[in-house]
Amino acid sequence: MRRRIVVTGMGVITPLGSTIPEMFKNLVAGKSGIGPITRFNAKSFPTTFAAEVRDFDLAKHVKDPSQWKDCGVNSRFAAAAAQQALEDAGLLDHSKADRSRFGVYLGSGEGIQDFNNMISLIARTYDREKRSLDCAKFATEGLKFFHAGHEAEQELHTTPAHLAQYFCLEGPNFNCLTACAASSQAIGEALEIIRHGDADIMLTGGSHSMIHPFGVTGFNLLTALSTFKGDPQKSSKPFDLNRDGFVLGEGSGMLVIEELEHARKRGAKIHAELTGYCSTADAFRVTDSHPDGRGAIACIAGAIKDSGVRMEDIGYINAHGTSTQVNDRVESLAIKKVFGDLAYKIPVSSIKSMMGHLIAAAGAVELITCIEAMRTGILPPTMNYETPDPECDLDYIPNKAREHKTRNCLSNSFGFGGQNTSLVVSAFQN
Amino acid sequence: MVVSLRRAVITGVGSLTPLGNDGPSFHSALKDRKSGVSAITSFDVSTLPVRFAGCIPDFDAKNYVDKKDRKALRVMAKTIQLAVSGAQCAINDSKVDKEKLDRTRFGVIYGAGLIATELNELADAAIVSSSGDPIKVDLDIWGHKGLEVIQPLWMLKYLPNMLACQVSILHDAQGPNNSITQSDVASVLALGETFRLLCRDRGDFFLAGGAESRINILSLTRNSLFEELSTDNENPQKACRPFDKNRNGMVIGEGAGVLAVEELEHAKNRGAKIYAEILGFGAAFDQKKDGSGVARAINAALKEAAIDVSDIDHVNAHGLGCKRSDRIEAQGIRSALPKTPDVLAVKSAIGNLGAAGGLVELIASLESFQTGIVPGTLNFENADPDCPVPVLSASRELRKNCVLKVSMGQTGQCGAVVIRRWM
Repeated sequence: MRRRIVVTGMGVITPLGSTIPEMFKNLVAGKSGIGPITRFNAKSFPTTFAAEVRDFDLAKHVKDPSQWKDCGVNSRFAAAAAQQALEDAGLLDHSKADRSRFGVYLGSGEGIQDFNNMISLIARTYDREKRSLDCAKFATEGLKFFHAGHEAEQELHTTPAHLAQYFCLEGPNFNCLTACAASSQAIGEALEIIRHGDADIMLTGGSHSMIHPFGVTGFNLLTALSTFKGDPQKSSKPFDLNRDGFVLGEGSGMLVIEELEHARKRGAKIHAELTGYCSTADAFRVTDSHPDGRGAIACIAGAIKDSGVRMEDIGYINAHGTSTQVNDRVESLAIKKVFGDLAYKIPVSSIKSMMGHLIAAAGAVELITCIEAMRTGILPPTMNYETPDPECDLDYIPNKAREHKTRNCLSNSFGFGGQNTSLVVSAFQN
Repeated sequence: MVVSLRRAVITGVGSLTPLGNDGPSFHSALKDRKSGVSAITSFDVSTLPVRFAGCIPDFDAKNYVDKKDRKALRVMAKTIQLAVSGAQCAINDSKVDKEKLDRTRFGVIYGAGLIATELNELADAAIVSSSGDPIKVDLDIWGHKGLEVIQPLWMLKYLPNMLACQVSILHDAQGPNNSITQSDVASVLALGETFRLLCRDRGDFFLAGGAESRINILSLTRNSLFEELSTDNENPQKACRPFDKNRNGMVIGEGAGVLAVEELEHAKNRGAKIYAEILGFGAAFDQKKDGSGVARAINAALKEAAIDVSDIDHVNAHGLGCKRSDRIEAQGIRSALPKTPDVLAVKSAIGNLGAAGGLVELIASLESFQTGIVPGTLNFENADPDCPVPVLSASRELRKNCVLKVSMGQTGQCGAVVIRRWM
């Protein structure tokens, strides 16, 4: 018998709330977390809005925020969400559980490079005659103006290390940064680590913010972001004919997942069972998904097969639904290919219509949303859905949450480079 | 522990290193006690505290990538070019006929790190948006005029998942694809995850790899601020001294290490040359910074491998050359293996290749299986009582058939892999 893995703790920091009840209440109410960018002056960028986490104060979440002072927001969001998840699981106390069997697998992003410092350094050390940067001058100035702590914190392995150090998690420690699929893939691989017996408990999820000048620059250059000119809260319109790109969000979602017997023995509260996972590659292009959705199809089908859940028992699909032309078309196509006629009977929604795209953290927050949807019997809507797209003809739960009991949900995450991950989560039953 | 009937073997090696761009020449240079560490000459490093590194001379990805795919190199940073070149070398060495592979069961799992942007690519935008004395950047200008003078695919050139993604695109590998970003441990963790994926039947043929180049002005400047680097500019080849009493910091290097990892029957059916079998993997976090995490990773890998310590020819160590790191590692190895086998450290000859390091180093041991000779550890002269392990200083004959690879990061992540020579 394969080991069964259950979710025993959850935590979030999102543009729609810094607790799970608050976030879910806002999602069900169809509220938007999107507004003008306040982190920096984005007035002249093609995109001027995003979904920011507001009024975040780490001191409200962890006892000793000074340990995180040099960290980027990715680590700070992660610390707060992890604190909630561990508290929820009853595992904050280091004497609870064998910490050597308690690991970390995150899909966490990079720290943020100081834009002003870096760009002004380039400007003043560029040799116009040689049409090239003066390396000697750059190094001299860089050594003076870069902050050692902030530079170290940009490295991609720092967030999982901080969490393991702070919460005393001595098991396997991984981080994957597979673009927009990262935290879903992390959760899937964390599941496999416990299934295999390499650990009994894993802290898993993701954390990210790309709401900074380099992030918006990069995505604007790729023309991936919405440049909607009207009310920013109407900008993210997954599956709508007039969708024009995604909206950046930020935040963190963390889960404690645990082997069932281990959870039972310590009398843990069980939120759900994580039953299926698959990841595949499109192997097509760095920018676009495969037009026939071959990677996404294999991925969704693989996750359902892994879960042992019958197709007709999947009651809700939390879509990747980025609001880009290509993703939403291909994702709808893939769902139809996998589910056949059933596809039209399964409610599908994208919470990115309300909180934007949390990039590496998106999948974890979306999986938590699935678990809350199962618990409450309410499915969050796809907001801003106005004009149907003939190629996106599924039931997207338009504009209004829906009461609908379900015992199994599918959550999709697809990323730049052709990364596909799907997870299946099920209501727990003995 | 789940027991799988599927067995994972290594059937191809791709190594781009400061000491040669294929397995045999890399091994032979190590055996001849050559050093790949040298002064950096490709750009002006005169104002940096450290002016040497383990550089690959004259790396040109065009020499490795199919002619039809060369255009794609333009959207790849050097690190990504190393990754795709290393992949090609591993595929060539495995002699696999790609046309016969089931592409949905062909996976790519890489270790990757933070990739520095090429500063010149942002220079036009920086200049157009900056003015005054002292110079200040005006975001109002950057947002429209700046953006106009940066190439559209700029960001994709530097995303860490593009190592594995570009490899998957070039070789139509539609199976599992992951990018593990755990600093110096990344590629060993990638190999471990590959081993798990293969044994749980998620694929039959994988490329497990890592690649990294930090030899550029931005990475070197940043790393000078937070890494413990040896500043022995007078004696670059002597700078990195793993486990030596007089070690004084690490040396940065660049490269790629990629392994073709294949299911045993799949390999046998096509008559592949088999280097070694992967027997065990373990990972842990060294929260107490006393080597207990290293020891747990080793013990987990050994337990799974079900071998006796006396079967281990040598421990292929992380051996960074830093005071604290080597002490922690040596204590961890010693506590897991009180009868400690010989310990080999490769970094003294090539530097710390970051996300590529673990697998490039493992390739030295894989080539030892082929040649029967284990290279010695360069620059190990004075034993340090804080590092109570027998460091192999001179090369010798291979005596036993198993190797334990240890990899660790300065923040505490640890990984260990056991491989056995295929006979």
